[in-house]
Amino acid sequence: MTAALVAEDLRRTYGETVALDGVSLSVDAGEVFALVGPNGAGKTTLVRALTGTTDAEGSVSVFGADPRDVDRERIGLLPQEFDPPERLTARELLAYYRGLYDGGRDVDAVLADVGLSDDADTWYENLSGGQRRRTCVGSALVNDPDLLFLDEPTTGIDPAGRRALWRLLEDLAAGGTTIVLTTHYMAEAHRLADRVALLADGDLAAVDDPDALVAEYGGASRLVVDLASDPGRDGPAPLPDDFALPDNLARAANWERRGDALVVTGVDRTAIGDVVDALDAVGVAYDALTWKQPDLEDVYLDLTGESVVGRGRAGIARSGSGSEPESPPVTEGDA
Amino acid sequence: MSAPRRVRASFRAGWHSFLRRRTAVFFTFFFPLIIVVIFGALVRTEPTGGLFAEDPGYYVPGYLAVVVLFTPLSRVGSEVARYRESNRFEKLATTPLSRSEWLLAQTLVNVVVIGLAALLLLALVLLLTGAELLVGPTALAALVAYVVVGVALFCGLGAILGSLAGSQDGVIAASNSIALPLLFLSETFVPPEMLPAWFRPAMGLSPLTYFSRGVRAATFDPIDAGAVAPAVSNFAILVALALAFLTIGAATLPRTD
Repeated sequence: MTAALVAEDLRRTYGETVALDGVSLSVDAGEVFALVGPNGAGKTTLVRALTGTTDAEGSVSVFGADPRDVDRERIGLLPQEFDPPERLTARELLAYYRGLYDGGRDVDAVLADVGLSDDADTWYENLSGGQRRRTCVGSALVNDPDLLFLDEPTTGIDPAGRRALWRLLEDLAAGGTTIVLTTHYMAEAHRLADRVALLADGDLAAVDDPDALVAEYGGASRLVVDLASDPGRDGPAPLPDDFALPDNLARAANWERRGDALVVTGVDRTAIGDVVDALDAVGVAYDALTWKQPDLEDVYLDLTGESVVGRGRAGIARSGSGSEPESPPVTEGDA
Repeated sequence: MSAPRRVRASFRAGWHSFLRRRTAVFFTFFFPLIIVVIFGALVRTEPTGGLFAEDPGYYVPGYLAVVVLFTPLSRVGSEVARYRESNRFEKLATTPLSRSEWLLAQTLVNVVVIGLAALLLLALVLLLTGAELLVGPTALAALVAYVVVGVALFCGLGAILGSLAGSQDGVIAASNSIALPLLFLSETFVPPEMLPAWFRPAMGLSPLTYFSRGVRAATFDPIDAGAVAPAVSNFAILVALALAFLTIGAATLPRTD
């Protein structure tokens, strides 16, 4: 495929802070490319470098040209934290941005696409947060761009609106529009993107299609057993010493105690009953079972060094056949 | 065809944005009224001598300078700061609209707004102060030309201020600090003879001086006293300064973060 966008060794610093540390990437024409990463990872700086709106070292080529020299009729941008003139209606705003281009789409059609037909004549400042963001997305679509940069397009949009916008972006991608988007919603990246790039500390930690990333970095499927509280204790009782996973799971699955839960990793959905039997066999009561396949969020947490345990499930117990540890950190044990 | 279309779209957006900020509209037109009432009353103290001892018509360039100087300086400066804070320049940098086209559209909005304010101001001056002006077609055409070029000049300066100042607050503070001295030290309300001799050459550094001299030459000084030449020469200087400020203003507008 032809590359719509090629960046090599992009570097950008703000004082002592390194925002981009040698990022190289290539986006094919017609591809949807998602950038994910923690706050401050460099996503917005990377979008700015790719659109030529920040001075970065390295090189960027958009349709074979420097981003500042490329035919701007072919580019659409939704910046992060973008607010257009607030006392224009949604229709006037889209007409304004449409008027900056020679070609483009019918304003009413774009308003319909972003779900604003009924509120088209409301001033921007009187629209809800989600409607404002959809207006801003519309402003990036009015010129019918070949390459669309969307920096957190669905932030502040309710779930229904977000899904409507996903369908719109899918339609654009199906029509051949190349889309580069940043997002904090992993489900959004997984659903929309042909490839996902995970940015951490100004560099790309991984780039691949979402399923491949999940397969490589997502880890195993996981059964979380919320243990029932022991009336005589502040929380569930320790697991009995004779608790063990059944033989058919023992080779592939691991378990560990995390706070008030027992987490069994590497267990297939069809083997949930076997874990339940093992708990029943040693008289362990539980309130709920949650089985979860690995997803892009697990990849994100793994590659950015963040963890669910570190964020909430404090208090570690034992794993395998060992005794209860006195304090964190987490230890994972083989069954 | 593209550039006029882009400027037209930007003008329309800027015009509607201005008209819908009622406070801004009110004070844009209320400000000249206050100035004329206050200064008009002072001018009427002429028989007692003092600061405003000249003929009322002498002060017309000063009244006009109030709107030609203050409004574009603060409006364009604030607009630049607002655009930067809202990431609008980042968006515009990826559209075909150039920085000079953006500034041209803003200037045109200000020309219309300030043209209307100047018309109101002029009517009030004639009505309240008893000023008598030359009202022939040439004088009126010169007046219009001076207002248009003066507004353009201070739009350019406003763009420079807005680009250099870090915030809207900074723009307002900077524009007041620049505009107030200019207003009183540019042959507007204070005749040069009232200032120390050593200071008078410095008045040539103020762009507003050429506006005052030119407008006065076109509308107040008798034609037969050779007023045409000063009106033209000051206008030429004002045009050159306006082009310089607009060029620098457009070049300093933010394009990147």
